[in-house]
Amino acid sequence: MNLLFKKFVYPFSAVVGQKKLKTAVILNLINPSIGGVLISGEKGTAKSTLVRGLVALVPELDIIEVPLNITEDRLIGTIDIEKAITTGKRYFEPGLLAKAHGNVLYVDEVNLLSDNIVNCLLDVCQSGVNKVEREGISYTHEARFVLIGTMNPEEGMLSTQFLDRFGMYVKTEGCNDISERKEILRRRMEYETNPQRFIARYEAEAKKLQHEIAIAAKLLETIEVDDSIMRLAADIATQKNCAGHRADIIMVEAAKALAAWRQRKHVTIKDVIEVAEFVLPHRAREMSNAEWGQTGREEGDHEKNKNNREEKGKALPDESDAKNENYNSRQSKTTACPETGNSAGNTKKEETSRAKNGRADDTEQFLDNINKDNVQQPESIFKVIPINVSPIDRIKRKGSGKRTSTKSETPRGRYVRYRFPVDRPKDIAFDATLRAAAPYQNTRDRRGNAVAIEKQDFREKVREKRVGNIILFVVDASGSMGARERMKVTKGAILSLLNDAYQKRDMVGMVAFRKNKAEVLLNITRSVDLAMKCLKDLPTGGRTPLSAGLLVGYEILKARKIKDPEMVPLFVLVSDGRANVSLSGDDPVKEAKEIAARIAAEKMNPLVIDTEDEFLSLGIAKEVADAMGARYYKINDLKAGNIEHIVREMSNSR
Amino acid sequence: MEKTAIYPFTAIVGQEPMKKALILNVINPTLGGVLIRGEKGTAKSTAVRAVADLLPEMDQIEGCIFSCDPEDKSKMCEVCLEKVEKGIKLKIVKKKMKVVELPVSATEDRVVGTLDIEHAIKKGEKKFEPGILARANRNILYVDEVNLLDDHVVDVILDSAAMGVNTIEREGVSYSHPARFVLVGTMNPEEGDLRPQLLDRFGLVVDVTGEKKPEDRVEIIKRRLNFETDPHGFGKNFEPLQRELRQKIIEARKRLSGVKYSDKILELIAKICVTMGVDGHRADITMLKTAITIAAFKKKNEIAPQDVIEAAHLVLPHRMRKKPFEKGVLDFSKVEEIANEFAV
Repeated sequence: MNLLFKKFVYPFSAVVGQKKLKTAVILNLINPSIGGVLISGEKGTAKSTLVRGLVALVPELDIIEVPLNITEDRLIGTIDIEKAITTGKRYFEPGLLAKAHGNVLYVDEVNLLSDNIVNCLLDVCQSGVNKVEREGISYTHEARFVLIGTMNPEEGMLSTQFLDRFGMYVKTEGCNDISERKEILRRRMEYETNPQRFIARYEAEAKKLQHEIAIAAKLLETIEVDDSIMRLAADIATQKNCAGHRADIIMVEAAKALAAWRQRKHVTIKDVIEVAEFVLPHRAREMSNAEWGQTGREEGDHEKNKNNREEKGKALPDESDAKNENYNSRQSKTTACPETGNSAGNTKKEETSRAKNGRADDTEQFLDNINKDNVQQPESIFKVIPINVSPIDRIKRKGSGKRTSTKSETPRGRYVRYRFPVDRPKDIAFDATLRAAAPYQNTRDRRGNAVAIEKQDFREKVREKRVGNIILFVVDASGSMGARERMKVTKGAILSLLNDAYQKRDMVGMVAFRKNKAEVLLNITRSVDLAMKCLKDLPTGGRTPLSAGLLVGYEILKARKIKDPEMVPLFVLVSDGRANVSLSGDDPVKEAKEIAARIAAEKMNPLVIDTEDEFLSLGIAKEVADAMGARYYKINDLKAGNIEHIVREMSNSR
Repeated sequence: MEKTAIYPFTAIVGQEPMKKALILNVINPTLGGVLIRGEKGTAKSTAVRAVADLLPEMDQIEGCIFSCDPEDKSKMCEVCLEKVEKGIKLKIVKKKMKVVELPVSATEDRVVGTLDIEHAIKKGEKKFEPGILARANRNILYVDEVNLLDDHVVDVILDSAAMGVNTIEREGVSYSHPARFVLVGTMNPEEGDLRPQLLDRFGLVVDVTGEKKPEDRVEIIKRRLNFETDPHGFGKNFEPLQRELRQKIIEARKRLSGVKYSDKILELIAKICVTMGVDGHRADITMLKTAITIAAFKKKNEIAPQDVIEAAHLVLPHRMRKKPFEKGVLDFSKVEEIANEFAV
């Protein structure tokens, strides 16, 4: 970080609350083998402030910040242009990874980083070595660092691979305690009025903390770990279904750091359990992505478990049995009601009580439901089977080399690396061109300039766009969907699809229709998290304006296609097909089919999920699907875990 | 080049919330900018240009691309800071606040800065070529149609806006410079929304619509026509009003650091934010700062609950979480309820 800005950072110890986050960060400073921490939380919860505050806390460590605008050459290092021009020789110019060695590498908004940069980072994190083979440079250097990232889960998730590289995971939340909120306000204002004075006030506290960390770091080497402790770590990791052995190892390393922090020589069971909540949440495999937003709750449960355990005494064998039970019960809890942690705010209770009403499976209530609003919570999320939607896109790009060149003509997207131009260079990567030309300058006629560039030096920019597919959900929220808990199943199905979109970096949008209109709940966005929130709060009730829903969906995707012709859209209609409101006053079903035909003409890759009850079937959804040229599935087909099959079928056919 | 005449700020008819939001931001640039939502032709860009023109000149270090403030070491660029620390006397010039515009087609390299190509070819050295963010430091960054901008461009702008620093690690250059600016964005919500995370980074938000009253509409046309036929004469007519407002802004700036607030005011703000269920703490901080600025503008030395409510109107609308089939409109009765309870 720039020296200038270091002087005035908000002090680490002046951050109010966020105890868990502070602990996680401190443990990493004590023991860098923990492998860093990923901080996830809503906007405005002091994520970045805390990390940046480290600068002043650990003067001997440098915080190397990776800005979002980074290009590959600056991350891994490249040829030193200036030296190449003057000497004609190739020297290595170190990038951020070289600077980060032995320090902290900090990525703000890590989930917004370009894929290419993420891949570079992953590679280095895995090996601890940065191997540079580019532009005639062959250079290898060590690159071990504490990786700290912050992210807002609403903006999209990280790949599981990348998640695994972070030793720990902490979720931050804003606090709702009035007096604490006041204190946050007070301190912030004080800091802004006079940063120097404010920093000076926390100087003593910072020094003390610094000292304690230094002592703990020294103590770390002497910490003893019993076999039983390792067993416990291994048991916990197995219980939570963590892939590989990293979780076990990190848990032990973290527990060591915690013991050192508490100035003890032995790691206790309590230590392991305490650090487990940092090490496991992003690794535990049975926890589906949909539950990411709920880790706060999960941690809450953990507290309870911990307390239970403490009461149970110290005998190890019993301990691990008890633990199994606890973990099991927790698993079932979290999968059965993934909605509980939903931060919907004050109205949540009211909604759930309404939802309960809606759940009563009663024919009388069927009619009631049609006109009354109710919010049904989604059924448990299906076992997540990878739905390969995005490869469609990739096949297209790789498979037809001719088409790629037309695509690169739009100089939009983020410049991440360069390539050799196929034809005449269009979007010139000047830095790369310069690097290519630099070593040959001594032998060229430079005509008074320092650099002469020749045809063979030209390099082109490779730009990256962040998105895979666009999946637009058009969801029937009419009263008939609310009956017999159908909406529960439907929400579960959509959540499963969203879940997959999460990992595939697809963009999603959502339209719902009920009463007499269709509403865009969510414009096309990368935030699957938002889509999930939207869906969970979606009430049902009223009549079924199917054609309005289809039309709105059609318009959104069509507009998007114009803006972004490379996009592969996916139109997903979720409905029982019982259209009874039309836009024009014509027959609603006929009108729906007409619009469906338009969707068919635009090749929007439609998919219809029919939620109609088997024995009262009218089969309208099927008819609409045919008019749309859509693939058609009954909701129960989806439930049987056939999603994988369905989507494979879809991608093959294109 | 002769300066084209700028429509006087005080001659803009109506659009009071927008005008207020802009004035508050130029009094206190740390409020975090304003997002103006509304249809076309509602004097959005006229107002932004006019507010910059209204302001008094400010001291700048001569020749500094970042328009560094000679008085504030904590926010200086490296070059100026080095000079100051070495005791080199810096030349100071007086300049008006600029409106730096960011076109929708802007690419990332133009925004954050890039490698200076010419310098590299001629001298064989790497040099940073400043981008739009560099020029925007201590000025107004105006982003028309912010919702149509490429996502990653918006990301970098907002990142700088939040940090006050632009860090570049690209195309062979490694550089950091101050980037503190009043961010003014406009958008037409019909053309698509902004991601909530980005919304949250805008300090204030105002919704504008065309004036409805016929007499106002006539007045708008009249003034516009007058301005076009004789911009200088038109400007002169408004000079007294302009001077008065300018003076008010200068005074409010001076008063800003002295505005007091009681513990109960902090409590009121915290309560409003908790009750309204906003994410994080940015809303609290912005609400307090806005209330301070409002009080300063009203020539008061202490915040009254009314100032907080006024601030809430500007701070909360875009931070509310919208639920399906619910209007995203803020239920202000709740805020007022809290304020009333508070008064008792």
